[in-house]
Formats: sequence, structure tokens, C-alpha cells
Amino acid sequence: MKALVRALPALLSQSLATMFQYRGEIILWAVWGVVYPAVSMAMWAVAVKGAPGGEQIGGYAPRDFAAYFWLTMVVGHVCTAWDVYELGWQIQTGRMSPRLLRPMLPVWQHVADNVAYKLVSLAVLVPIWLLIVVVSRPNFDTGLHELLLAIPAVTLAAIINFVWCYNLAMAAFWVTRMEAIGQAWFGAGLFFGGRLAPLSIMPEPLQTIASALPFKYVIWYPCELLMGRLSPRAMTGEMLNQVVWVVVGLVVFHVVWRAGVKRYSAVGA
Amino acid sequence: MGQIEVHDLCKTFKVAEREGGLGAAMRSLLFRKHRQVHAVDHISLDIKAGEVVGFLGPNGAGKTTTLKMLSGLLHPTAGEATVLGHVPWRRESAYLRRISMVMGQRSQLNWDLPAMDSFLVHLAVYNVEKAAGRAALDELVELLSIGGVLKKQVRTLSLGERMKCEICVSLLHSPSVLFLDEPTLGLDLTMQDRIRDFIREYNRHHGATIILTSHYMADVTALCKRIVVIDHGRILFDGPLADLSARLAPFKIISIDLQDDVDGYAFERMGEVVAHEGRKVTLRVGKEDAAAVTSRLLADLAVQDVTIQDPPIEDVIRQVFASGRGTHP
Repeated sequence: MKALVRALPALLSQSLATMFQYRGEIILWAVWGVVYPAVSMAMWAVAVKGAPGGEQIGGYAPRDFAAYFWLTMVVGHVCTAWDVYELGWQIQTGRMSPRLLRPMLPVWQHVADNVAYKLVSLAVLVPIWLLIVVVSRPNFDTGLHELLLAIPAVTLAAIINFVWCYNLAMAAFWVTRMEAIGQAWFGAGLFFGGRLAPLSIMPEPLQTIASALPFKYVIWYPCELLMGRLSPRAMTGEMLNQVVWVVVGLVVFHVVWRAGVKRYSAVGA
Repeated sequence: MGQIEVHDLCKTFKVAEREGGLGAAMRSLLFRKHRQVHAVDHISLDIKAGEVVGFLGPNGAGKTTTLKMLSGLLHPTAGEATVLGHVPWRRESAYLRRISMVMGQRSQLNWDLPAMDSFLVHLAVYNVEKAAGRAALDELVELLSIGGVLKKQVRTLSLGERMKCEICVSLLHSPSVLFLDEPTLGLDLTMQDRIRDFIREYNRHHGATIILTSHYMADVTALCKRIVVIDHGRILFDGPLADLSARLAPFKIISIDLQDDVDGYAFERMGEVVAHEGRKVTLRVGKEDAAAVTSRLLADLAVQDVTIQDPPIEDVIRQVFASGRGTHP
């Protein structure tokens, strides 16, 4: 543990330095993360105008949609994880070998990379986020209580997404190509996480399915919490669900990692 | 009791294979064929602390697979091994802190940053105490003469500079056991010599146990008193380098310089003619016949000079691989 405490700042520092080398790429990825929510925001604003009454859909007025999708941008950035591609590639090509030789789990290097990307890209994203707030004039009904609860909620959301994305990425110990699996994961996240539409306005069966998947607790729950639309019971109930997803995710990680490393073939190394 | 003990270690890979062509590709959708490849096949070793052991073998012989199992990267299919009292593939932190592996084809350095950044991260990850880390870094930088490249981005380094940095980063935590997999791969002769000198010096100074794989015979002959010849996953020879020729090459090389040109002499009746250029003739003869053949040549011909030698180690190894035979000491 002591070694990890010393190693993590060094890993983060190295990851930050690496990110600085690729400023252009970081900017493009960060801006791409804004595009989806911005398009959804515009589409739903238009949809509301065409709806009966022209004022709201499922309790969301245009400025509510603006707030919701603005929050999906911010929460989506804090929770982003791409290890289904990165880790998959490292396992398949044998590039995992040098990391496996270290006396610490390779996941810590990936955690450092993940945090470093999020920190570095804030320099680009914060001005864009502020600009979107000015343009879309989102309607927040957020109290201090919700703001304080959002800190653990968003943190748990980031852990859920990272851990489950990592768990999925470890399929690369068994299968050779991860691209389709990765795309399926991100597609499901868009739909069942509430990135395309708030889950509460989706059909009941889809909401039921979403409740059985982790994505809802990564995007929809923190966003709804920050909009001040959840009852006190829902706030704590959904957070408990987040804790369950984290605990189960960590157990799955432990089991799959041990089994996966046994299958690692260290190609070309 | 050895520092590295290996008993009947095996690694079998399941490899998918099919015939070429679209038809075979379509058939493989439903009927996939697999073949078992025995990369390492019941090998046993006992290596003592401070030994430098060279693994020799052609591509696919099982050298690197053995090293990967001993470093904990691969789980064996069967067999047992302990290194420094640990079972390598349990990958205990206490074990990984005491070993290191240099892979000629895999970098431990971050290519986007100066090598110094990777060194500092390595010291933190291995929790090397600051003063000890600084001392190790200074020593390695001086021994490897890499002071001038520490601030350069790794991707801009030459192959030789990068390999020296790879060795440096691998040794910063002063490992007791070092696995070197093709450490001189692709390097020019001068750089190969420098790396060999460094490895020799490191072994002498730190008493580290070193297992080295290489395609370059010079690496092995320069560094290793003991060699292990592996082919098709099996050990063909394990013993002192000096014994290799004696055990595996029961012949001598007789070279003669003649005073005059000789036509019509049946050298092939004396032994296998390796070369015959002008007045220089080289013969390969059985060890037991060497003395008699030499006497006969001296009696029959006007010989200016004659030498009788053991065959070059490269020839012996080539012959071992070609015949697939071997022996243990």
C-alpha cells in the first residue's frame, strides 16, 4: 500500500506529461465528447416545439433538456473510460508484458492515464461548457443538498464506468478482436445511459432494462440528481445501487483478472 | 539448492490452423481446427546464485517461452518452478521486486517522454528508497554511458541508445535475478560488445543470477560459462560451454597448408573435405582418427603448416540443431 501511495503520483505525473505531448489529439477527443450531447440538446429543443402544446415532452421543457444534456457532457467527461480498446490492444499485441513485470497491478497505470486525460482536457472543455451554458440557458433546480450528494454520485459513476469497461476489456484475454465488443458497449451506454434521451421519457420496458445495466448509474442518475428532479428516496436508493455496481464490479475484476492473466500468451514479447 | 529450480516444466499452446483460400476460410467458420504446440516440453534446470546461463536455440525453440514462465508472464501447462523461493506465475509483489526482464522486442520505456521520466517512475513503482535509487541511477548512467541521452525523447534515440536505457531501467531496483531476452538484437558489433561488457560487469559487481537468450553466439561465448541448448522445447545440452564440443561434436578440424600444388590426392578418403582452395585444405575427421590422419597427411604430402582444432562452436550448435540430438552432463 505504501508503495502504491508513492507510485500513483509518479504514474499520474508521467501520464500528464504524455498527454501534454499529444495536445492536438486531446483537444479533438475532448471536443468529440461535446458533440453528442450538443446534437441531442438541439434535436430535443426542436422536438419540443413540434410536440402537442409545444412546451414540453415528458416534463422536460427546452431549457430542461439543455440542462440535462449539458450535464451529460460534464458527467460523461468525468466518467469516460476507453480501456475496452486500450487494454484490449495491449493484451492482444503483448504490450501488456512490461506492465505485468511490475510489482503492481497494471490497472493503476490505466487509472493514472484516465485521470490525466480528464484533467488535461479540462483546459479545452471548461470554456466550451461555459459557452454552451450562455447559449442554451439551461434550467437547473439544484439545491445544496443535491450538489453535495453529487460529489459521491459522480465519483461512484466514474468508478462504475471505469471498472466495468475494464472488466469488459479483459475479454481480450480470450478473444482476439475487441472492436465490435467495444462498439456494442458504447452503443448500449448511449442508449441505456440516457445520453440520447432522459430515461424517464423512454418506454417502461426500456427503463426496466436500463435499471438492470450499469449505464444508468453512470450518466442518468448523476444528471437527474444535479437537475434536482429526484425524490430524496430515489437519490439515496440509486446511490445504493451505484455502490452495489462498484462492489460487484471489483469482485468481477478480481476474478476475471486472475483467470485472464493465466491465459495471457505474451505475444511477441 | 539452486536459486532457480525447474522441474518438468511444460507449456503447450493451442494454435488455430487452416488451409489457405476462401473455401478453407468459410469451412473454418463451422469447423475450426486446432493444433497443440509444445513450446516447452518437460525441461528441468537447477541454476545457482550468481550463475550466468546462456539459452541457445533456433527461432521457436522455447527459449523465450521458458523465460516468460520464469518471470511470471506465462502460466505453465505443467511442471514446477521456483525462483528465489517464489513460484513465478503467482506473480507475488515480493518476487517481482527482485527480478527483472529485458526484452529486446518490448520496451519498458515511455516512448513519448525522455528516458529520465521512465527511470523516475520505475524507482517510485519499485518503491526504491530515494538515496539508493539516486545512487543506482548514477552508477548505471555512468556504466552505460547514457548521461547524454537522458533528456532526449525515447522515440528519437538510436537502437543502441534505447537498448542501454532499457537495461538501465530494468536494473534500477537492483534485481537479484535478471532475464535477458535478446538484449543485443539488431545492435552493431561495437554496441553488442559494450552491452556484453556491461552485463559481465553487473554480474561481477552485484552477483546477480542472469539467464540470457540470444541468437548471437558471441553473446553466449563472451558471457556464459554454462549454456543450455534448447530445440523443439527440449533441452539438448546443459553444461559448461567448454564441454559442448567434446560432448556433441566428436570430430576435429585439420587444416593444412601445402608447400606445392597437389593434384589427384584423395583427401576425401582422409575425412570430410570442408574446404580446398589452392594449397589450403580443411578436413573434418573423427576425433579418434585425427592423429592417424594427420600422420598420414604429413607422410604423404609436403606440408608447410598443420593445425588441429575443435570445431567452431557455431558449427557444433548448427549440427546439434540439424540432428536434434543432445545430452545432459
